[in-house]
Amino acid sequence: MTIWWLYLILGLLGAVGTAFVWLIIKINGQGVAPKKNAPGTIEEAADQDVEHIFNEEFREELRNRGRLHFEKIIGENAMFLQQDLRLTTSQLNEYMKTEITSKLKEEFAKYEESIMDAKQLAIESIQKTNAAIDEQRAILGDQVKGEILAEKQQLVARFEENMTDIVNHYVLAAIGNQIDLNDQLEYILADLEANKKAMIEDISSGA
Amino acid sequence: MAPNDTLVAYSLPLSVVSPVDLGRLIRELEALDNDLNQAVISFPDNEPKMPITSRLLDEAIAVNKIVPQLAEDRKQLIAYLWGMKAKAPVLHISFSADPSPLFTQKLLVWLRQEVNKDVLVTIGLQPSIGAGCIVRTNNKFFDLSLRKDMLSKRGLLLSEISEARA
Repeated sequence: MTIWWLYLILGLLGAVGTAFVWLIIKINGQGVAPKKNAPGTIEEAADQDVEHIFNEEFREELRNRGRLHFEKIIGENAMFLQQDLRLTTSQLNEYMKTEITSKLKEEFAKYEESIMDAKQLAIESIQKTNAAIDEQRAILGDQVKGEILAEKQQLVARFEENMTDIVNHYVLAAIGNQIDLNDQLEYILADLEANKKAMIEDISSGA
Repeated sequence: MAPNDTLVAYSLPLSVVSPVDLGRLIRELEALDNDLNQAVISFPDNEPKMPITSRLLDEAIAVNKIVPQLAEDRKQLIAYLWGMKAKAPVLHISFSADPSPLFTQKLLVWLRQEVNKDVLVTIGLQPSIGAGCIVRTNNKFFDLSLRKDMLSKRGLLLSEISEARA
């Protein structure tokens, strides 16, 4: 029994499907037919009217008007753009001037600061150098003083030694010619007496 | 004539100061000897006449008390002088000026009395010594000059100058 029912339902479904396919094919066949523009249709008449109303002269007039309007708009926009550009340029100039001035001031301040630092460093360096030079000068002065003193003492000592030679030479030159040999005889004989023994020994040796 | 080793106790006169004087005396004495010998040979009967001699030879003859006409005395004196020429000690003494003969004689007297009786002296001149003398024997040198004395007292002079400067 059941299987019979099943066969029935399946037959019904097949019949419904076949009817649906047929319907679709039928509908599609009716939609394609109106697309064909055959002469003498309403659309063709509308196109002809449009061509009649919007002919070539009217289109040229419209183009001229559009061109003038476009040029006018372009000119106005150019004027506005020029004004904006001038304004922008002036503002930009002011901005640049302000910025450059501030930058320059800032840079000059830094430059001045660095110069001041360099100056301070140079001054400190010069002060240190001066201090070192003073110290070296003091040391050198002490050394020179010591050497001069030593040299002076040496010169004085040498002078005194030479002075003895000078005095001796002077005395010998001054007295030598003034003392008569006869006056020296006693002195000479006394010296000979003092060295008599050595002379006798040397003569006695006979060498 | 060669020197004779057998010397008689003669002495040198004070006028013979240096070896030069001694050589001059020897030459004169030898010449006298030759002259007298020739005179004896030429005139054997006559006594030879003495020629005029120098003061040096006269003094030598007087000091040594010889008879110059006797050949033996002359021979012995010549031998003595030759011996002195060979062996007499010689002192070289330099002074600052030329000494006078009297000074030289006094000095020689002292030397022959105190040092050696036959000593001979050669005199030199060194003006730079100022005063005093410089004596040089065969082996030694004695600077007895004022220059040496002053140099030895240089320290004293130096100290005196330093004190004066202070």
